[in-house]
Amino acid sequence: MSNVCEDHIFSKVFKTHSKTVFNYIFYKFGNEEKAHDAVQEAFVKLWQNCAKVSPEKAKSYVYTVANNLYLNVIKAEKVRLKHANSLSNDRTNESPEFLMEEKEYKVKLDNALNALPENQRTTFLLNRIDGKKYTEIAEIEGVSVKAIEKRMHLALKSLREEIDGI
Amino acid sequence: MQENYLAKWLSDELSEEELQEFQNSEAYASYQKLKDATSSLKAPDFNSEKALQRLKDEHIENAPKVISLNPFKKFLRVAAVIAILLAGSYFYVNTLNEKVTTEFAERSEVVLPDNSEIFLNVDSQISYSEKNWDNKRNIDLKGEAFFKVAKGKKFTVSTDHGTVAVLGTQFNVENRKGFFEVTCYEGLVSVTHNNKESKLPAGTSFLVINGKIISTGTPDGTLPSWMNNESSFESIPLKYVFAELERQFNVKVSSENIDTNLLFTGSFNNTDLNMALKSISTPSQTHYKIDGDNVLFYAGNTLQ
Repeated sequence: MSNVCEDHIFSKVFKTHSKTVFNYIFYKFGNEEKAHDAVQEAFVKLWQNCAKVSPEKAKSYVYTVANNLYLNVIKAEKVRLKHANSLSNDRTNESPEFLMEEKEYKVKLDNALNALPENQRTTFLLNRIDGKKYTEIAEIEGVSVKAIEKRMHLALKSLREEIDGI
Repeated sequence: MQENYLAKWLSDELSEEELQEFQNSEAYASYQKLKDATSSLKAPDFNSEKALQRLKDEHIENAPKVISLNPFKKFLRVAAVIAILLAGSYFYVNTLNEKVTTEFAERSEVVLPDNSEIFLNVDSQISYSEKNWDNKRNIDLKGEAFFKVAKGKKFTVSTDHGTVAVLGTQFNVENRKGFFEVTCYEGLVSVTHNNKESKLPAGTSFLVINGKIISTGTPDGTLPSWMNNESSFESIPLKYVFAELERQFNVKVSSENIDTNLLFTGSFNNTDLNMALKSISTPSQTHYKIDGDNVLFYAGNTLQ
């Protein structure tokens, strides 16, 4: 029987899920420091209760702990995401006007993301940045896949409306 | 278009026709741009190796640090013991019996919680529980005392010779070495001696000398004579008279060529030693000498 108390299993669980736990908390609250702390706290709890938590349950366990940690505690700050430069890198002859528009678009996108309700933003970014499938997000959030699809749909709709100024 | 079609579009779950329909819609271009833009977004850097190291350093590897909290646990243990001792001694002190003691040539008066009164003769001691008084009216007596008991529940006087139980009355108990006398002045007193109960109506006495019950005459007056500074005896062996004299005046009494078992009837004053000595020596036909705190009684025919 594999056990989370075993160092290599614990390390594996940590490496697999810590980044997503970090992002998950960051998308929720926009606070990097708290996201780092959440990872530490969630996995310390997992370590302390390693005998009671099976490796299969470890994943949802750390998300639940991380989520409960800051429930109603911190106010959401602005989620500051990094924008990869791929768009401008793979093209050469770009007009200053195009670059300007790109920059403006990014600002609009950031603002629109920050304007989303916390659960829609978290779901949306877990999918877009972390590439999490709807089923996986549903597991993390503890809701149905249908609810996640609803959030995705509403998030896209709101983002477009916010950016296009509809 | 099905429910949540935007979500389905993002996860490539739209059917051919639906996708066609969506691509022809006015908003499609905006959504496509959103899709492209958000696919290149990145979250802040997170180094999972570093985070794991931090976790191990701070929380797991250094777990023994938790043990270093033990001194506090020890302190808690000591504190708990002290707390228990304090609480215990508080409880003990609280339940400790009240004690009143008189020395030789000293008397005292005690008023109990229910206003019963106890007059302690010389060299006597009573103890009782003040906290528990309302539940149990019990007095432990050594020596002699006169009781005026307020009406109420059963009132008991425990001595090593026996127990005296009353409801509300006035009585005197004398409990000395080899000598036990209960005199009832009012009401009814029950005396239990050697598991045998005797009822004493007002104006009677119960006397035990050296384990032998001795019938006595009726006591005079409504108070024991010592309450009026007199010690009275009726057919009492001389040695108990001498013992009482020692207690009343705080002197040392010795005798020479005298049978101290001879019975003595009479009384002596408790305030004037010379008078008291005359009161004893005359009826008992003995002589006495005083030397400081020592009194010697001797027979008339003893050569000095």
